[in-house]
Amino acid sequence: MSAGTTAVRQRLQEIWETPKTVYGWLSTVDHKEIGHRYLATAFIFLIIGGVEALIMRIQLARSDQSWLTPEAYDQLFTMHGMTMIFWYAAPILSGFANYLIPLMIGARDMAFPRLNAFSYWTFVLSGILLYLSACLGQSPHGGWFAYVPYTSTRYSPGFGMDFYALALIFLTISTTVGAINFIVSIFRLRAPGMTISRMPLFLYSTLTISFAILMSLPALTVDCVFLELDRRWGTHFFDSRLGGEPLLWQQLFWFFGHPWVYVVFLPATGMASMIIPVFSRRPIVGYPFVAISTVLTGVVGFGVWLHHMFAVGMSDIAMSFFSAGSMTISIFSAVQVFCWIATIWKGRPVPTAAMHFAMGFLALLVIGGLNGIFTAIIPVDWQVHDTYFIVAHLHYVLIGANVFPVFAAFYYWLPKMTGRMLNERLGKWSFWVMFIGFNLAFFPMHLAGLGGMPRRIYTYPAGLGLDGLNMTATVGAFIFGTGILLSIINFFQSLRTGALAGKNPWNADSLEWETDSPPASYATVHIPTVVSRHPLWDDHDEEYDPENERVFDEGRETLSTTWLDGEPQSIMKMPEDTISPLLVALALMLLFAALIFQWMWVALAGALATLFAGYFWLWPTPAEKLEHELEVELI
Amino acid sequence: MIATTVVPVRRRRGISVPIETERGTFAMRLVILTESFLFIALFASYFMLASNKERWRIEELPKLNFAIPMLFVLIVSSLVLHWGELQVKNRRYAAARIALALTILIGLGFLTLQAFEYSAHWEHLTPYTDSYGSIFYTITTFHAAHLIVGLLILAYVLVLPRYAPALESPYRPFHVAAMYWHFVDVIWIVVVAILYIGPHL
Repeated sequence: MSAGTTAVRQRLQEIWETPKTVYGWLSTVDHKEIGHRYLATAFIFLIIGGVEALIMRIQLARSDQSWLTPEAYDQLFTMHGMTMIFWYAAPILSGFANYLIPLMIGARDMAFPRLNAFSYWTFVLSGILLYLSACLGQSPHGGWFAYVPYTSTRYSPGFGMDFYALALIFLTISTTVGAINFIVSIFRLRAPGMTISRMPLFLYSTLTISFAILMSLPALTVDCVFLELDRRWGTHFFDSRLGGEPLLWQQLFWFFGHPWVYVVFLPATGMASMIIPVFSRRPIVGYPFVAISTVLTGVVGFGVWLHHMFAVGMSDIAMSFFSAGSMTISIFSAVQVFCWIATIWKGRPVPTAAMHFAMGFLALLVIGGLNGIFTAIIPVDWQVHDTYFIVAHLHYVLIGANVFPVFAAFYYWLPKMTGRMLNERLGKWSFWVMFIGFNLAFFPMHLAGLGGMPRRIYTYPAGLGLDGLNMTATVGAFIFGTGILLSIINFFQSLRTGALAGKNPWNADSLEWETDSPPASYATVHIPTVVSRHPLWDDHDEEYDPENERVFDEGRETLSTTWLDGEPQSIMKMPEDTISPLLVALALMLLFAALIFQWMWVALAGALATLFAGYFWLWPTPAEKLEHELEVELI
Repeated sequence: MIATTVVPVRRRRGISVPIETERGTFAMRLVILTESFLFIALFASYFMLASNKERWRIEELPKLNFAIPMLFVLIVSSLVLHWGELQVKNRRYAAARIALALTILIGLGFLTLQAFEYSAHWEHLTPYTDSYGSIFYTITTFHAAHLIVGLLILAYVLVLPRYAPALESPYRPFHVAAMYWHFVDVIWIVVVAILYIGPHL
């Protein structure tokens, strides 16, 4: 480090730091801070959804229990599904992506920092809006896929399903702007030399799901609009007496729904593709194959949605096509699995806690993939449709391929975020308790499903041979919860007593390990340059910059490069901290809350507030004005 | 297109690259992508509901006497806006602002025509009649809502201070807003083709 470095660091710190005041907290646009919040909020939703699941498991532990009423049980499983799928599984991955992507590509922030803050605020406010329904005792109760006609006002009076429709539309705003932000950031902000063939694999998966989000989420929006119009505004989209079509709901929902499965799954595989090679001490085997199969999973993911509807009665040709599509997609997952196995096989695996979770993910993904092939085969699907077999399958996929990789990622990246190592021993304990508990909880559900136990029943009679299986599942669920608790304890303990992590505790290969732990607000002093797929494993010094050409210490700026070759192209100016994203999000919340209760004047006020807050957000600040005028003189 | 504008080059110790101006354009392309899928979902719903046509009571085919003139109105608005974009590129800002204002007026004219169109249709078809009425009014209202958003964006660009005469501004906001406006116009072409002309074929 040269003598001038300290001064440079100080200047960068002044430029990028957010003041530690309440106003600063509300107005920060720092991707690291927003990433932290995403992770914490999504984790809280995981705990809420988990507690809901445990309450249901207590009810189902024995036959003929009735301390939960059927209505309460319906609301619980609906809120559990919605919380886990919409407010935990995708946002926690957004949290990692928010935190890690700018560091991984050597940028100082996302391409649209204010939009990033807006994405977080709308995410958390839509979650609060959803849980307001629980305060009214009128939560959604139609399952997370809310089939009509059950969810029409005739069978679902009260505001529950209105909360469902409008909270989801609100959330789609958050997810959509987040996806746009990721795409632009990944295409335009990669460090010089990070060509598209040198991108970390996590970026491939985030890029793929961001496009999948942009193309699939509108179907959910349209669907929820139709539902709300049918419920409260007298239209007849789903009313078969007047030309409506109940299956329209299912078609639109699953056109969105199945790509969404990949949205919560692919980034987790991307994280596994980052973690497994590091702990196998070698580059991943078949990088191009993993990258291509990630993208193809996203593409073919749009051609499988009918397999959720094999039981509704469709033409054989349609069903065969989608059955074939569903089996095709397992090929791409298999390619990835074989690449990971080959990486471990050819490497020298290090059994860290993160590696334990990654291996657990591999095992559970294979089980969840295999019982997924069961459900892709039409005759078998007819047999197990709407039974606990499906519950087992989807939890093997969603917990196996989301929760386990997310925990692997926590054990791997938390030292970067907090600067402190987690306790490896406790981590491994946590893994084994979670792994055993998970299998105890969900493997018996296969058998219960094959034995004929339908899903979504609040209780079941004795003497059907289901008591033992359900008791095992309940015990397993509590063991699984204990395993998660161990990791939470581990986290809080590490904050106080964990060993200092240093820059690169795992001797990993990707750029985020080039920064301090926790990273400075400006990440690295010099924008790094990259010459290989494994920047920290080659001889090239990423921050070699004797002339200080890549410091950018004249304001919030970062370097923009060409999308294919990563050639330096332009200097991207970054906005200052601002409270306007929060204001727009609050105005939107007012709008959506008013729409639930049809307070149309309040809704109008909310719309106008959104508009003016938006104008306020976009209005050029005096500083920007001055900046531009100065540049005129520079020319 | 953008290459012809004057882009400021900021010189730093040795490195000399322009200020980035295209991320808004990129993001707007993605907005248009996702909005396209919104309308694809709506049109797909239309066709799925139309496959129950024997249950649809289309007593009268949708009239073209408003829809076609409205189509021409929007095409003219796009042409005017594009002319304005050419002006701003040649730094004739006053002319560009006049074009913007004209586009907004034409857009308001479109909405007025649509109000007349609705009241003509309303006599024999309402959203409450059957699923045809529901989807017909939903698609056209979705389009109108997008048009209103487009107008609000254009109005914002109209009042935006021109804080750096020789720079890309207000070219960049102008360009991004115009992209959205052209997209909304293209959607109306599809709406006319599917909802209005389709049933006559």
